[in-house]
Amino acid sequence: MSSPPARGDVRADLEPVFRADYARVVAAAARVLGSPDDAEDVAQEVFLAFSRSVVPAAEAPRWLHVAAVHTALNVLRSGRRRASREHAAREDDVAPDVADAVVVLDERGRVRAALAKLPHKQAAALVLRHSGLSYADVAAALDLSPGSVGTTVRRAESALRKELNAHASSD
Amino acid sequence: MRHPTDGTLRRLLDEPAGVPDSDREHVAGCPVCLTGLATAREDATAAAAALHTPAAPDVDLAWRRFAVTVDAAATHRAPAAAPVRRWRTALRSPTVAVLGVVLVLTGAGAAAAADWLQIFRAEQVTPVAVSDADLVRLPDLSAYGDLEVVQQPDVQPVADVAAAEEATGLSIPEVASLPAGVTGVPAISAGGPVTAVFTFSAERAVAAGGTAPPAELDGSRFQLAAGPGAVQMWSSSSGLPALVVARAVAPSVSSDGVPFSTVRDYLLSQPGLPAELAAQLRELTGDGTTLPLPVPAELVTSATTDVDGSPATLLTSRDSTMAGVVWVEDGVLTGVAGTLTTDEVLSVARELR
Repeated sequence: MSSPPARGDVRADLEPVFRADYARVVAAAARVLGSPDDAEDVAQEVFLAFSRSVVPAAEAPRWLHVAAVHTALNVLRSGRRRASREHAAREDDVAPDVADAVVVLDERGRVRAALAKLPHKQAAALVLRHSGLSYADVAAALDLSPGSVGTTVRRAESALRKELNAHASSD
Repeated sequence: MRHPTDGTLRRLLDEPAGVPDSDREHVAGCPVCLTGLATAREDATAAAAALHTPAAPDVDLAWRRFAVTVDAAATHRAPAAAPVRRWRTALRSPTVAVLGVVLVLTGAGAAAAADWLQIFRAEQVTPVAVSDADLVRLPDLSAYGDLEVVQQPDVQPVADVAAAEEATGLSIPEVASLPAGVTGVPAISAGGPVTAVFTFSAERAVAAGGTAPPAELDGSRFQLAAGPGAVQMWSSSSGLPALVVARAVAPSVSSDGVPFSTVRDYLLSQPGLPAELAAQLRELTGDGTTLPLPVPAELVTSATTDVDGSPATLLTSRDSTMAGVVWVEDGVLTGVAGTLTTDEVLSVARELR
């Protein structure tokens, strides 16, 4: 269905860009937040910023991914995630098997806690890379030299794994 | 040879073509590096699994939700004439949200009534680099109260420089010699002052995700003013302006009583405003005379220069297709920009008559 915004002062390429990139932008935010609903909130916020921007269409995918990841990390750190959403998710997940659902939620929570502990740039590089951005794109987005993207991502992955292993061994 | 770095080993997993042949050959024959590569692969796989969150959004539904939001946002803005559409777009951008903060912080124009206290008057312009990331993290100030445009600039085409001077009361600069490739006579437009009053609402600020403001801010009013001004524009065959020369009374802000420091400290403490940017703005706005100019760092580089003794800001697009320079002298802001080199822009600016 197509229902473009009624006012004529938004960028003309908004709907095609939205439809082409929305799912991927949600996926990128979901990697940070661990919740598809929260990720959709972030994606909507980011597309609104995009609608008001003059970012060239060709640069839209990178811009949207970067904006989504930064915004999602900001949400993660500020604790702005919706408690109600988490409750809802809990209820949904609990239905088939309570024990499995609790394990999944615990695991997701640990990942988010670990992600929130990483330096912002490391966390952003990690998620952008795992969202499919090239090393060159990650470098440009985060003002890194192309050569240091691998190092930054590597450190983030190593720290994330250590953090998760520490939790696992303390259980 | 030295072992390649961990970062190089990591890149080998994703973009082997981006790693020099010599490093690849070394790794293939080096047990230490092969072990490092295996560990990197394990960590990368674990990270991918940990981050993976199934999400299958309904794009149609999402678009309908989004269209409602965009439409609602658009209804809050007053209609404007076609020629200023680009400006309307620009005025809605997060960059201008920063500028909005800045203008409230600093201010523009003559105080209209005795109960207005001028708290800012732009006497110089300083660039503040903002990234895409900064922009999307900014608080949405328009949600913190009501902005009422009291006086529209009423921009009209005028016949010549003399008519522009008569319309604005300003001395409108003339270009001594046009850069190569720029020809013809400019289209000139002139407009009167624009004045807007922002009434702060504590309730709305909190509802918008802001922190609770000091009690004295609730209901306080700030008058933002700028202009009159005039623009001369030479077009190119591509439709982009080849050269633009603009002059206007620099912006100012007046308050109905709340001290400058109160509103500045509150705004700069809002969630979302990156700490580094807030610190820069706090420093810049300390004396109430410097207009910070948000510059999108991904697209534009900035440098300081001077035009006839006035400190000026030189902006260049990263693709080197456009350049501009802006400065303030005696409360009047002048800008020269176009699809020109920085040398050409500076030459035009320094030879204005």
